[in-house]
Order: sequence, then structure tokens, then C-alpha cells
Amino acid sequence: MKWMVFLALLGTSSVMAKPLHETYFEKKYYYSALNEFFFETYNKPITEKVVNKLEEILFFTGVEILEDYDEDLLLKYPSSSIRFIIGRKYYQRGHTKKALKYLENIHPKHRYFPEAKMVEAQVYFKMGDKSKEESAVTKCVKSASVLESEAANEKIARYYKMIEEVCLINAARNSFTRGEYNQALANYEKIPKTSYKWPYVLLEKAWVHYQLKDYNRALGLLSTYKSPLLDTYFFPEAEYLSALAYFRLCLYDDSLIILNEYYQSYRPRFAQLHKVLSRHKKSRTFFYDALVEEADGFNANEEFVKKIFTRIKKQIRFSLDSNTIYKLNKEINTIHAKESKEVQLELMPHLADVRENIKTKINYNAKKDIFDFLQTVPMYSAELFKLNLEIVSRKRDLVYKSSELAVDKKKRTRGEFANVKRSSTEHFWKFEGEFWADELGDYSLGLKSRCNEVKVEDK
Amino acid sequence: MKVLLLVIQLCLIENAFGEGKVIYEYKKYEKFDLGNLEVQGELIAPGDISVRERDRKKFNLDFFERKDFNSFVKQDIEAFR
Repeated sequence: MKWMVFLALLGTSSVMAKPLHETYFEKKYYYSALNEFFFETYNKPITEKVVNKLEEILFFTGVEILEDYDEDLLLKYPSSSIRFIIGRKYYQRGHTKKALKYLENIHPKHRYFPEAKMVEAQVYFKMGDKSKEESAVTKCVKSASVLESEAANEKIARYYKMIEEVCLINAARNSFTRGEYNQALANYEKIPKTSYKWPYVLLEKAWVHYQLKDYNRALGLLSTYKSPLLDTYFFPEAEYLSALAYFRLCLYDDSLIILNEYYQSYRPRFAQLHKVLSRHKKSRTFFYDALVEEADGFNANEEFVKKIFTRIKKQIRFSLDSNTIYKLNKEINTIHAKESKEVQLELMPHLADVRENIKTKINYNAKKDIFDFLQTVPMYSAELFKLNLEIVSRKRDLVYKSSELAVDKKKRTRGEFANVKRSSTEHFWKFEGEFWADELGDYSLGLKSRCNEVKVEDK
Repeated sequence: MKVLLLVIQLCLIENAFGEGKVIYEYKKYEKFDLGNLEVQGELIAPGDISVRERDRKKFNLDFFERKDFNSFVKQDIEAFR
């Protein structure tokens, strides 16, 4: 009997010796384990073993929830995940040197290495160091590609694919800023049509062609947005650029058609969106509910608003955050079902807080994205109004000068192949009035510029 | 006494309206001999259109043209987390 008591005591003491975060980790209560881990280690020497344990827990929780943790606490732990989070924060605050200090010291085999290189490339771009920027882009693309091929599931593979593509797109954008338009196009061309980012790239490519004065190609690219396949993508900027490209070709009537379409079709939609936003501007849950729980309170005539939400749902951030909520719910339910009341009381408040924070974050980000989008509308409306004014002024001048533009309006056709500029890598499709998936994004108009004036009597 | 004052006031008002009545009469016929009219000074014919030409208002507005995609870069990086 004495031996049994002794053995029982020994067993209890060995359990007590084990840190609580280890116990939670073994039970797969990862979020509780992370919280407990910080409680148990923050005032002790941080050994390699401790850092490795942190990395192990973060593998399951992700780093999203660390956004709420105190920065000084996190800096005690020299792990790649922590360096990534801190470096990213410094980048967002515009502290380039501090950002580099952390981003450059992430292990090349670490899962956040590609994303860190993506941010690092932008830091070097801001500093004007082109060679280091290009080196970071190359490392980003290569490491993302390797990790994508090794990904455990489709979602992780998609995340790395997205990193790889955004690195290439950012490199193209940086080339554009430097005026290296052909280099920018070369990088944009690497984005496949199947990519989630591809519809966004169309607008950017159109700007590159605009700067190269290939207005026909810019117009062709922008016409892709008319395809039913891309009906969730609508940008006031694309409408403006179309009107501007027609204007540069002195095709004033075409420019005015775009203007009228914008005022008749887009403005009511934006008014609709504005109405929905004002209704729920102060809500802390509406945007979250509309995104996650599909309990959207939209009317049938608010289809446009639904499409905006669909666009947000395709973001990686939303995917990661909603996955965190899913895992938190799972942990809460397991604890509720399996643990005693005391353990529940110990763990539940923290988990409920974390879940609430993530929900608030999703709500805030969605609201911010929609407001940011809506804020672009007045600016482009004003630019289109200016364009309208200029066209009217120029048309009036032609009348006073008894002149007209080079090509007679009555002879206007759909364009000629002679006016289409094409590089060796660009496909060529004859547009037959229908959109097909294969030819999307390869369009170019063949319109002739009318910018030369002729005297009416000279005709 | 009051009645007397009222009668005097009425008489004064009637006189005031009566004094302002003026009758204008115009000549039924008048002849101008334009040949005999003389104007002092130098007589010249205008050699050019007398309205001064002015330049028509030209707007030549500066239109927005993208020079960078920095805001897109920021958005994309933030869209990860």
C-alpha cells in the first residue's frame, strides 16, 4: 500500500514538473498553449529549446494572433517567425533600416522566408538599391516555388503561389516607377491567366502600354473587363484610362461614350454601395457576418455590393483569418466537451478574446478595403469631368477653325491590323464579338489616331 | 373746429395735385437738311473690324496619369495578413 502511495506521488510530481503549455500542446490546444508558453517563459532565460518550442506552437496557430502581443515581449524570442512579424511591422511604419535588421535574418528554410523577401524587396526599392531589390525578388520567387511544390495541402500551395506572383508583380511595378516599361511588361507576362491576381494586372499593363503610347493595346486590355467572366472586377480607374486613351487618339466621340456609360451605369452602383456602407458604418459585426456567415442583409438590387464582398473573400488575409477562427472554434468546442469546469474557466476567456479580436480584425479590414475603393470614385469622377470639358472645348475649337480631325467619322471602322502593335510573345486573336477564355487579355484595338487636323474646305 | 381743419386739409391736397399737371406738345412736322449739317473734326472710315479679337479660352488641363503603383504594392502586402 505504501509503495502504491509513493508511486502515485511520483506520478503526480512528474506531471507537475511538466510545463502546462506542453500539456496543452499535447492535447492540441495550440492557442491555449501559446498563451501559457509566454506566461511560463517570458521571465526566464530564452534557450534554443524554448525558441524551437515557440516555432513548433506557431506552426499550428500561425502568426496572425501575435499582432496583439506586446512588441517588447516578442523581441525576447529570437525566432524567424517573430523576426518576420517585427520586420513587417517596421516596414509598415516606414522604418526601413529596422525592418531590414529583422527581415534579413530569417532562416532560408523557414516557411515565412518568401513573404519576408517580398517585403524586403520593397524596402530596398524604397532605399533605391535596385540590385538588392532584384536579388530579394529572385530569392522570393525561388523559395516560394520550392515551398509550393512541398506544400501539404492545396491551401498552403495557393499561399506560396500567391507570394511568388506578388513578388513578380511588385518587381514589374517598381520597373514601371523607374520608367523601365519593357522590363515591367516582361514581369507582368509571367502572371498566368489562371492567377487570382491576373484581373488586377490587366489595368496595370494597360497603364504600361499607355506610357509606351500604345493606346490601342491599352484599350484592348481594358476591354477584357467587359467579359462576363470578370464581372466581379470593376474599377473606376479602368473606365477613366479607356476614356483617356481614346482622347489621346483624338477619338473624342468614343471617349464621350465611355464617359456617358460611367455616369449612367457606374455612378448609381457606387451610390448603392455608399448607401449600404452608411447604413452599417459603425457596425462591428456587419462586414464580418456578410463575409463569413453569408448572412448578408443585401437586397436583390444590391448585386454590385455582393460582388465587392466576393472580391474581398478571395484575399489570402481573409482566408488565413477565417481559418484561425475555425481552429479557435474547434479548440473551444473540444475544451468544452472534454475538460473540467475549472480548466474551462481557466482557458475559455482568453480563447473567446482572441476569437473576438480576429472577428473585429476581419470586420475592420473588409470595411477599410471597401471604403478605400469607394474613396477612389470621386477622384476618377472629377478626372472624367475634366476630360469631358477638354473634349467639348477641343470640338468647339475645331468648329471655329473650320477644321475637322483627319479621319472622317462616317468612314470609321473597327480599325485596321496595320495599327496593331504586337511583340513576338503576344498572341493574336481576331475578336468576333464574343469573349472566349483563351483570348482574354490579348486584345488590342486597331484604331487610327485622328489627331491631324484638316481644313473642311480642303477635303 | 375739427370740421373746419378737415375741410382746409382737403383743399390743400387738391391744390397740390392740381399744380403738377404738365401738358407736353410736340411739333407736328419738322424738316432736317442733312446736307447742311456740319460736324467739326476729322472724318475717317474704319479700315478694320472695330471689335478687338481675343484668344479663346483653352483649358489644356493636366490629366491624371499613373507614374507609380506604390499604393497597389502597399495594398497587396497588407492583403496577406
